[in-house]
Amino acid sequence: MITLLYKELRLAAHPASLVFACLGCLVLVPAYPYSVIFLFGCLAPYITFLHARETNDAWYTAVLPVTKRESVLGKCLLVLVFQVFQLFFSVPFALLRHALHIANNPVGLDATAAWYGMGFFVYGVFDLVFLTAFYKNGYKVGQAFLLAAIPLALLMTATEAAAHLPALAWMDSCQPEHLRMQLPVLAAGIACYGVLLLLAYRVSAKRFEQVDL
Amino acid sequence: MKTVLDVRDIGKRYPGFTLEHVSFALAPHRIMGLIGKNGAGKSTTFKAILNMVKPDSGSVTLFQKDFSRHEKECKERIGVVFGGVDFYPLKKLSAITAVTRTFYADWDQERYQKYIRRFALDERKKYKELSSGMKVKYLLALALSHHAELLILDEPTSGLDPVSREELIQIFRQIVKSETCSILFSTHITSDLDKCADDITYIQNGRVLQSADKETFLQSFAHLKTPQDAGPLTLEEIMLRTERSEWDDNAAL
Repeated sequence: MITLLYKELRLAAHPASLVFACLGCLVLVPAYPYSVIFLFGCLAPYITFLHARETNDAWYTAVLPVTKRESVLGKCLLVLVFQVFQLFFSVPFALLRHALHIANNPVGLDATAAWYGMGFFVYGVFDLVFLTAFYKNGYKVGQAFLLAAIPLALLMTATEAAAHLPALAWMDSCQPEHLRMQLPVLAAGIACYGVLLLLAYRVSAKRFEQVDL
Repeated sequence: MKTVLDVRDIGKRYPGFTLEHVSFALAPHRIMGLIGKNGAGKSTTFKAILNMVKPDSGSVTLFQKDFSRHEKECKERIGVVFGGVDFYPLKKLSAITAVTRTFYADWDQERYQKYIRRFALDERKKYKELSSGMKVKYLLALALSHHAELLILDEPTSGLDPVSREELIQIFRQIVKSETCSILFSTHITSDLDKCADDITYIQNGRVLQSADKETFLQSFAHLKTPQDAGPLTLEEIMLRTERSEWDDNAAL
């Protein structure tokens, strides 16, 4: 797995994807729709898959001692690294924002534990649609992204809307009692991400085995 | 017969093209040329051998092992060169090598350095900065550095000037002589095979027309000779006359 990931990071990953993965720092911006950060976390795999297609990555991988199933695993690991790194990278900036006593984000949901939970859930849904659609044929990246952008846009909107619904105001709060209420959302988000990405890998691998390069 | 590669009854159906019952076998330390005009099915055969396309039927045995069941193990023992396909054009050779070597337990860095020097390759160069001939040499260096026992080369000499082609043919002969290696080599430039191939497989319209050692192969097409032909036919003449007779048959229809 390490070898596959090394190959993905060294040869397949587009440099812009690495920049997108670092955009978790945007949680420091006082007024900003933070769910846009999720969009960057989805653009990172899109650009990398596009880059991989144009550099004949699938062909090169096919002549290495790697099965088609493993080549899909490599890409799934890369997506996981982009997205998990991005959310982890944003944590110090969210804490810094709290330490600086910057006022609550007036645009939408703050970078609370619930926001991170939503982030994992958004990524899980996006990856399931994007990866499985892409590995139907192994080259239509744009089509797969457009398809996955539909649930992405809906979930981003829902995340931002949560901050404006009085019943869900606890999701937008950094008060200790509200943070405790948000922990199950975070746990559920992480669990969903794990399950959905695993499902995405299994379906994608099965589909890619039938694809002719 | 002991074989390094045994392709049996490979079939693949596409809209407008069908690969049918493709069978041939390659013995150790030999060079086999796979000939056929453009679109005959040479590259599809290679892709089917490597599981890049899923054959509808047939089997591939490499080193006495079923390729589909022992794919990784078999791939560790082969080197593949696709002529005309650019991999990671903006990456430096050193980066591609650094990744490639991690996939092979048998990687031999000393041997790699030896081939890099012999082929006068500069690892600081980006892949796209190499000429077509140098790209093939680089991919050969990678293949030989993990002690590949079989080289599968798809059109490695296409698009090269006669001098570069001659040089590569010389390298192929040396590899088979000095390393424990066999070569399966597809081309539509048949003059390259006149110089180096031990066996020839001729594919026409997705079917194997003939697969044999070169002498038997040439004899089996003796019926194409005309009274004007003094010596044996060359592979190019065989291909031209065979394809021409097919055009005539089609014209008659």
